[in-house]
Amino acid sequence: MDAIVDVETVSRRFALDSSPARQPAHYFVNALTNASLRVIAGEFLAISGPSGSGKTTLLNLIGCIDQPTTGRILVDGVETSKLKPGQLSTLRREKIGFVFQTFNLIPVFSAAENVEYPLLIQGVSSGERKQRVGEALESVGLSARASQRPDLLSGGERQRVAVARAIVHRPSLVLADEPTANLDTHNATQLIDLMHGLNQRLGLTFIFSTHDARLLEHTERIVRLTDGEVVSDTNMGGNRG
Amino acid sequence: MAKFLLLAFRNIFRNRRRTLMTLFMVGGGVAGLLLAGGYFAFMTHGLREDTINSGLGHLQIFTADHFNRDEVRVLDTGIDNWRQVAATVKAGNHVRGIAPRIDFYGMVSNGTKAAGFMGSAVDPEAEMSLGFISRIESGRDLDPKSSGEVEALIGKELAKSMNVGIGDGLTVLAMTSDGALNGVDVQIVGIINSGAPERDARYLRITLPAAQRLLQSDRVTNLVVGLDSTDHTDQAYAEMMPRLNGLSQKMELKKWIDLATYYKQVNTMFNGIFLFMGIIVFFMVLMSSVNTLLMSMFERTREIGTMLAMGTPRAWIIALFMFEAALLGLIGAVVGLIAGNLLGVLLNSSGLHMPPPPGYSVPMPFKVLHVPFQMIVSSVLVVISMALASILPAVSASRLKIAEALSHV
Repeated sequence: MDAIVDVETVSRRFALDSSPARQPAHYFVNALTNASLRVIAGEFLAISGPSGSGKTTLLNLIGCIDQPTTGRILVDGVETSKLKPGQLSTLRREKIGFVFQTFNLIPVFSAAENVEYPLLIQGVSSGERKQRVGEALESVGLSARASQRPDLLSGGERQRVAVARAIVHRPSLVLADEPTANLDTHNATQLIDLMHGLNQRLGLTFIFSTHDARLLEHTERIVRLTDGEVVSDTNMGGNRG
Repeated sequence: MAKFLLLAFRNIFRNRRRTLMTLFMVGGGVAGLLLAGGYFAFMTHGLREDTINSGLGHLQIFTADHFNRDEVRVLDTGIDNWRQVAATVKAGNHVRGIAPRIDFYGMVSNGTKAAGFMGSAVDPEAEMSLGFISRIESGRDLDPKSSGEVEALIGKELAKSMNVGIGDGLTVLAMTSDGALNGVDVQIVGIINSGAPERDARYLRITLPAAQRLLQSDRVTNLVVGLDSTDHTDQAYAEMMPRLNGLSQKMELKKWIDLATYYKQVNTMFNGIFLFMGIIVFFMVLMSSVNTLLMSMFERTREIGTMLAMGTPRAWIIALFMFEAALLGLIGAVVGLIAGNLLGVLLNSSGLHMPPPPGYSVPMPFKVLHVPFQMIVSSVLVVISMALASILPAVSASRLKIAEALSHV
């Protein structure tokens, strides 16, 4: 099976002070320690753990928006620490889709324009953009709300727009950081079903951080983190919803 | 690209109050520049026409010797056969008329007191036909057909110092072209108030034939050419030069701007003030906009982080901020152009007057000219200023650390 993500003994250390040179050890905090993880294409994987356990840090490292202090990460076979900022940007643009806890939609764009944005920065032609945006919005059930700006959408609708934005450019990998944290039970359940459906239908790889038990019930595999260390990696193959 | 520009345009109106304040500041700067520049333009335009119509004319013909050497005797660098020269140039396009002049110097006496004068001999008919203004405060202009005593106009201050008025007589003494001293009795028919007291303390004007008798010469100092419009000066100059080159006496043709020293000084001063004001507006817009754009950048930190996370090139973020600022400058410039021109129209119809400038006794009307060049310069200035102001916020935004920006509250 092809690995889409390989995390190999990765650590991430943050300086508590802004001046990093020659600081004693207690001036640093280890957000992640020797974490290793292999994700196969098409997996629906949850990273679970209490607040401060390193979930977001691990997602940021996999998503190439942060660099590990030690260890290495391969995304689709490419070692990210060897890439220049511009190449990392291209990698994110082409291979990764992001869903954020607080939706992070561009407020002056309509739902359709927000979904269109990743295609815009990829230089996709106008006609193809229109078609793919339509398909993405339809896949999240928001075709009728395409022209609405985010402030006129509910929390659940905003997060579905964010999911459409994350998949519209057909990435290899979708990273979602606490996607249900700001949603009520009804909207959270809808979103979980939606993401799982996309995983099943399109074969998209989903990695998301959560401590939402509702979401964990639908996952195939749960990686648990505690104090920056991977404490368990459980395959829940039989528990899929 | 169009979508990206649309994003920039919409971002401008996210915080309407702040945008309104920025537009007010940028527009105010442009309007202020237009009003000041328009007033300066009115002043210089008025001064230009006033200078030309006061007797300078649009072009003046001299002999080349007039500029090459000093006169040894009176009028020995003057134009010899001036009627032929006048006939040669009068046939040209846009030429309205030609007025011969003699500049001479000497002394006037009232019998008990004498004073030096700077004299000007004119052909009153030619001067009148060209619309030259004599600025006669009292009395009348010289009569070209007078056959009696020689008539004279004298400056207000000279009349005062010589204690003479209209109808009084003076003796005018000057050196002839042969080097002898000659004199003529004149009767004062008018008092001139040019607005410049220093000039009026020495000024005397008589007719050309009277001066030629006094100086014992048929020559004139120069020929003043009046055109149908100041805008035709360059064209008339180009057409006239070849004609003058064909004459036996070597001639020199001068444009009004070459002879209007005071006008040039005033124009340079106004241009300097306008430039200074432009620099002030430039820095005013620059400094206040940096703060506004930085605030905008901080407010959008998470959004910029999201855009960067999705793979937006950092150069695009810089372009987005710079384009927003330039667009804001452009809208501000349009607002300023409309406001400045409307205010100009209002001021022009208000009948406002400014106090008389130094050396003048008549209040100046407050008028504003609408000068397209100033509109373009002012607009470009604020757009550039805004674009420059956005560099710091734009670069700061593009350098944000994505993970930190995404967790920004």
